[in-house]
Amino acid sequence: MAQASGVKVQDVKDITRIERIGAHSHIRGLGLDDALEARLVSQGMVGQANARKAAGVILQMIRDGKIAGRAVLIAGQPGTGKTAIAMGMAQALGADTPFTTIAASEIFSLEMNKTEALTQAFRRSIGVRIKEETEIIEGEVVEIEIDRPAAGAAATAGKTGKLTLKTTEMETVYDLGQKMIDSLTKEKVQSGDVITIDKATGRISVLGRSFARSRDYDAMGASTKFVQCPEGELQKRKEVVHVVSLHEVDVINSRTQGFLALFSGDTGEIKSEVREQIDQKVAEWREEGKAEIVPGVLFIDEVHMLDIECFSFLNRALESDLAPVLVVATNRGITRIRGTNYKSPHGIPIDLLDRLLIISTTPYSDKEVKQILRIRCEEEDVEMTDDALALLTKVGMETSLRYAIHMIIASALVCAKRKGTQVDVEDIKRVYTLFVDVKRSTQFLQEYQSEFMFNEIQPADADMTDAQV
Amino acid sequence: MSALAPAGAKQTAIVSGGRRKVHTIMPDGSEMMEEFELQTDQLVVRKRRGKTVLGRELDWVYEVGLPPQRITIANETLAESGANPVFCRLDHIDRFEFRVRNLPYAKHNYSVTVDAAERKIVVRTANKKYYKCIAIEDMDRAGLPLDEHALAWEHENNTLIVQYRKPTQLIAAERQAAAARQKLGAADSDAPAKGEGDVQCPQQ
Repeated sequence: MAQASGVKVQDVKDITRIERIGAHSHIRGLGLDDALEARLVSQGMVGQANARKAAGVILQMIRDGKIAGRAVLIAGQPGTGKTAIAMGMAQALGADTPFTTIAASEIFSLEMNKTEALTQAFRRSIGVRIKEETEIIEGEVVEIEIDRPAAGAAATAGKTGKLTLKTTEMETVYDLGQKMIDSLTKEKVQSGDVITIDKATGRISVLGRSFARSRDYDAMGASTKFVQCPEGELQKRKEVVHVVSLHEVDVINSRTQGFLALFSGDTGEIKSEVREQIDQKVAEWREEGKAEIVPGVLFIDEVHMLDIECFSFLNRALESDLAPVLVVATNRGITRIRGTNYKSPHGIPIDLLDRLLIISTTPYSDKEVKQILRIRCEEEDVEMTDDALALLTKVGMETSLRYAIHMIIASALVCAKRKGTQVDVEDIKRVYTLFVDVKRSTQFLQEYQSEFMFNEIQPADADMTDAQV
Repeated sequence: MSALAPAGAKQTAIVSGGRRKVHTIMPDGSEMMEEFELQTDQLVVRKRRGKTVLGRELDWVYEVGLPPQRITIANETLAESGANPVFCRLDHIDRFEFRVRNLPYAKHNYSVTVDAAERKIVVRTANKKYYKCIAIEDMDRAGLPLDEHALAWEHENNTLIVQYRKPTQLIAAERQAAAARQKLGAADSDAPAKGEGDVQCPQQ
């Protein structure tokens, strides 16, 4: 019986597609009020009031869109919320502003040179808002039918499905592809909904529920909107305004068979002539009032991993009038610049540092750590007693915030094993003994180093006290 | 030049597969492809395609004839099911003919009218299964009004056949275009393309 219900739960999960929880999935914005003052706890952000306020000012700068080529450095110790602030900025900017996130080590590839990768990242972060005519399908869903292959059938067989749409005048049956089935289930489309489908991209938007279904005894939220069933033909041509990045335009124009490259993902290097041509065309559109530039943000995490060539490229690239706002983050102090023997603050050459606005993050206080842990407990759906949370906070202060966050889900599993509903001090203690943190691990290594591999022969001048134990 | 190929358009013709194929590149960069049966000089296919503002190439739009039937669903999104009615236009010398296949409903279901203001032929079904506004691009290009009396329709073998008599001006214009087409040679050569396989492949 228990097994049967377990299987059912899995089915439901498959339909609603629960989003996976990432390290920063609890962040929904910067948590600032209208006067750009940081609220104590808001939108998943806790503490770092000064850094958040500074990020808010930068955000205002980006929104105004007048200034190109500014750069911001977020510097701070590990686990002080650098990436969280960048994520918060991305969320606060909204979907229409391009926000590209890369880790500095991503640009080192054998297939593409470093500056090309950086140029592509730059151009991904500049949007062009333009009007395009697209073909859309607009209709009321009569029926969705999705067939799952029987258990044991090859997983590659995939699902097949049929979608019946109607207007006041006609009805059409569509065969569905895998991607469309996925997005239909994600949008939770059901019969009675009025939807539009962009034919080229397959993007679905639900306009609301049909008036004809308004008397159904469905559990409907207050936000349910009722709309008329569309008239006339199902397929229509419609002008839509959308934002495409310069890189996408580059890709479309760099190959003869155009749009196929967008889906294959492999773009390779793009000729500089193509880029010049596109820039010229975009400038033309701007003059004619057909298009608008939407400067976005390029966020480079772990920026100390860039080498001296990249840094000098950045110096130059930031001066172009089509440059996005560059946000970089690092957790290094004074360290070697990659590719040289020189040391520099944050591993960034002084000439580039001089062009950066620097935001620094500071370690969290115990109150803030407690608040963050509470938010993470909520995000990970874990219930915890106040005592356990206090203990976890203490652990977090003594070791690191990341270790404490990792302990949440581990202790929840331990708690579930003993059939408890709330994580208690006992569970935290148990997990603390099961998994060591960095400090304890280092201590252990120092004590027993000699018993690990390749320690049989000690250098002559080494301290032998450990080996004699 | 005719209404189909305005001044500045570049035309090339080849003969292959028993059809004379005429390819036109319009001054705005869009393309048109026409195919004529060699024996009867009847128009079998006319398709066009343009580019979006961003430079992306669009799919062929079939004005006359049927697109090749594909089974794959383009980039995994969706495609109309084969069970749906299929619309296609086939031309005759004296009339336009529109065929809607896969329409199994009885004859009294259909109503075909001319919407003169919108310049469209409107096909409706009483059971709300099929609806289509048919535009006749040739009439639009020639700027001729649509006339209810030129319209006739029939339903047999699960197919709805709508016919529209071509006005005399259009027939005359098409006869002229056909004569011009006979003179149109293969690319870069003055000799008209007559039979199959006589296309010159100029060396680089």
